[in-house]
Amino acid sequence: MTLASAALATEIGKPAPDFTATDINGKTVKLSDYKGKIVVLESYNSDCPFCNNHYKTGAMQELEKDMAAKGVVWLIVNSVNPNNASHRTPDQAKQEIADKKIVATAWIDDSSGAVGHLYDMKTTPDMYVIDKNGVLVYAGAIDNKPDPQHDPRTARNYVREAVDALMAGKPVAVSQTKPYGCSVKYAN
Amino acid sequence: MPRIGTILGGLFCLAAITASAAHTQARLILSADTARPGDTVLAGVDLKMEPGWHTYWKNPGEAGMATKIEWQLPPGVTAGEIQWPLPEKLPPAEVTTYGYDDEVVLLVPLKLAADLKPGPLDLKAKVSWLECKEACIPGSGSVEATLNIGDQIKASADAALIESWQGKVPKSAENWSTRAGWEKPASGDTRPIIIAGSYVGAMAGEWSDKFDFFPDANDNFEIQAAIEKVSDTNSLFCFRKIVKKYSGDWPKEISGVIVAGTGNSRIGFEVKLTVSDQAPAGETVLLGSNTGETPVPLLQPLWRMLLYAFIGGLILNIMPCVLPVIALKILSFVGESRSDPRHVRKLGLVYALGVLVSFAALAAIVIGVKAAGHRAGWGMQFSSPVFVVCLTTLVTLVALNLFGVFEVTLGGRALDAAGGLASKHGAAGAFFNGVLATALATPCTAPFLSIALGFAFAQKALVILLMFLAVGVGLATPYVVLSWNPAWLKFLPKPGAWMEKFKIAMGFPMLATAVWLFNLAAGSYGKSVLWLGIFLVLIAFAAWIFGEFVQRGRTRKGVALAIVLILVIGGYAFALENQLNWRTPITASDATGLLKESPDGIAWQRWSPEAVAKARGEGRPVIVDFTADWCLTCQVNKKTSIEISSVRAKLKSMNAVALLGDYTHFPENITAELNRFSRAGVPLVMVYPKNSDANPIVLPEILTPGIVLEALDRAAR
Repeated sequence: MTLASAALATEIGKPAPDFTATDINGKTVKLSDYKGKIVVLESYNSDCPFCNNHYKTGAMQELEKDMAAKGVVWLIVNSVNPNNASHRTPDQAKQEIADKKIVATAWIDDSSGAVGHLYDMKTTPDMYVIDKNGVLVYAGAIDNKPDPQHDPRTARNYVREAVDALMAGKPVAVSQTKPYGCSVKYAN
Repeated sequence: MPRIGTILGGLFCLAAITASAAHTQARLILSADTARPGDTVLAGVDLKMEPGWHTYWKNPGEAGMATKIEWQLPPGVTAGEIQWPLPEKLPPAEVTTYGYDDEVVLLVPLKLAADLKPGPLDLKAKVSWLECKEACIPGSGSVEATLNIGDQIKASADAALIESWQGKVPKSAENWSTRAGWEKPASGDTRPIIIAGSYVGAMAGEWSDKFDFFPDANDNFEIQAAIEKVSDTNSLFCFRKIVKKYSGDWPKEISGVIVAGTGNSRIGFEVKLTVSDQAPAGETVLLGSNTGETPVPLLQPLWRMLLYAFIGGLILNIMPCVLPVIALKILSFVGESRSDPRHVRKLGLVYALGVLVSFAALAAIVIGVKAAGHRAGWGMQFSSPVFVVCLTTLVTLVALNLFGVFEVTLGGRALDAAGGLASKHGAAGAFFNGVLATALATPCTAPFLSIALGFAFAQKALVILLMFLAVGVGLATPYVVLSWNPAWLKFLPKPGAWMEKFKIAMGFPMLATAVWLFNLAAGSYGKSVLWLGIFLVLIAFAAWIFGEFVQRGRTRKGVALAIVLILVIGGYAFALENQLNWRTPITASDATGLLKESPDGIAWQRWSPEAVAKARGEGRPVIVDFTADWCLTCQVNKKTSIEISSVRAKLKSMNAVALLGDYTHFPENITAELNRFSRAGVPLVMVYPKNSDANPIVLPEILTPGIVLEALDRAAR
């Protein structure tokens, strides 16, 4: 039973598990409060080259901006444990948002790994798209190029595709892929 | 471009340059300094990681990235696939990866063309990797080495290192028999898989009991790293893994490396496994083989399945199908109690032989049907109207025989005058009894039997035969045991005149069986079944004339026999052939019929996988009843435990959908569904819970109202 429990946490087409977390400004973030809006969860660690590649090229910020313009809620989930060099204190995180010009609804301080484990997030970046009814419609890789050195703009971005499909009222063509990247640096 | 080595060494080149990223150093080494045209040289990309840092295997696992080698080779040199030494599972458990600590040499065969000119060749590659410790850093570098083409092979200083890493590359799985099978239907996008294997051939030393499976990378699914041992006495190893599906269908084949042992003594062997999907729900059972030819099965231990078959056969004795035959057997025991014990024992064995021969014949039919590419099922002969007509006629004759209308003399010799066919003291009667018991047993299934048969029908010929014989042994055992210990029969009354009356009385259950069979035939022939009735009357009439005037008559036996023949042949030609057209029955036109039994009955709808999916999509619980007209167990279940007021009310109150799958005519889609739940036949009653994530509740073969109501209660939660 131990084998199956984690894997069963999330399932495409099923309600995304609700969570209550705290963002870097100390504000409470509750997933179910965003019902009626499309929500994107991004498992984040900018020290991870895969993740960083999306930010240093500016492609992620473009995507985030685009999503914000469409009314999409973008939640960064940082599950790096406090003992890891890649951990960010709230102040460091605020600085990073400013430096990298990140556009996100909230940056969730998940150093306990609660949200990451709830969604069984494996890698950074591991992406989740939740529709207006709170149903999980996409989980997995951000795009089809599992490489830390590529131009994300030339890749097929599954998150953008999923959100666009939802806005157009169409079914999400690719609803699940294998996430790629670095392992999430959970606390042991 | 001349390299230092070539300048210094002239004929031999020894130089290699290394590339280093922050924490990993890469260099290119060769198994030979000099090689001849046409040779294959092993190249090694040697990656040395600082303590705590690691790089990844070809399947990095849940994170990470496989190391890549891009060759820049001169014409005439062709690089093969990377041979990956056995990696290690790297923590943390929640994101398990496969990779290498400390050092790894990735091996690549380089094929040299036959027309290469002698002299030095520059071999270059760009290697890129991901190195991780607390954090991950992408690394890359160019590595190169020089190979001299000459007229002999000269090993390099690195040859021993390459050889030692070559020893860590997984080997082909000779002498291993490995199998994979789905343990259960999928639950959402995950599904448990069972992988088991044995070593065939002489075992060199003791194997550690540590086994694992490292899968090849696949974009459509992931075989997760976590592992759970499953006990299976038939295999050297057996474990469960979870497959998470990302897209497409559930894989039919998986590949990867079986890892045996721990630490430095680990070995790996490559496998490509066909994944069988016929494993029963709830049971840990394995099917499939690594050859992909025939689904070779090592289920749960075969002995356990044989035991189930045996117990199932035992229980069959008290199922309604076989009861009339039981009565006959009891009668014969009473009759025999006077006889010589040796004779009684012999008859017990002959009865068993009759059962076993019949079961062997059934097994042969099943094997034949399967070999012809069709699906086979328990009781499938009852879907053949021709079989039903023959059996109806036969059972009618047995009833008449019990009534004393005529006698049966087998083997040309008059047997004891006392009684009918089945109570005969003769061996032929006992044998026939065994055949009849088997023929009548098949529309029933019993507890244990359905599990055993569900297993058997998916097996190869020999196992099918063994399983059927085990059922037969179970069916015959009580009589053999009793005939060996006649003292146990003391509770039976002494033989006497009552036996004749009892025999006649037993004709009535037999007649009831005939009526039931007749009713089955009605399903295939519609109103024309009247002609089967007329045929039976003609045959009965012929039987009476035969008994009264041929067997017991004194004069004009020839005339009587002629009349018998005329009745039988005429009845057959006119009633069966001409009117009933018995060999080409009208096909079932029940596709649109009303399924509701009575105005207040359960509102059954026709079963289909789509109907189940639709109802579950609406969040409604579903009860599915796979049944058949000829399935007596099903009919009994329905009357006692399904089509009853408490269940009707319960279904209504929980807004359940009731789906009926009619297996009377053996439709392929229901056979497939039964097989999915590892059943070889009906009954199969299932309740799908309201929560569409939950697996269906499979009810036992024999139902009580309590079982059904409790399952519905659970489903409504």
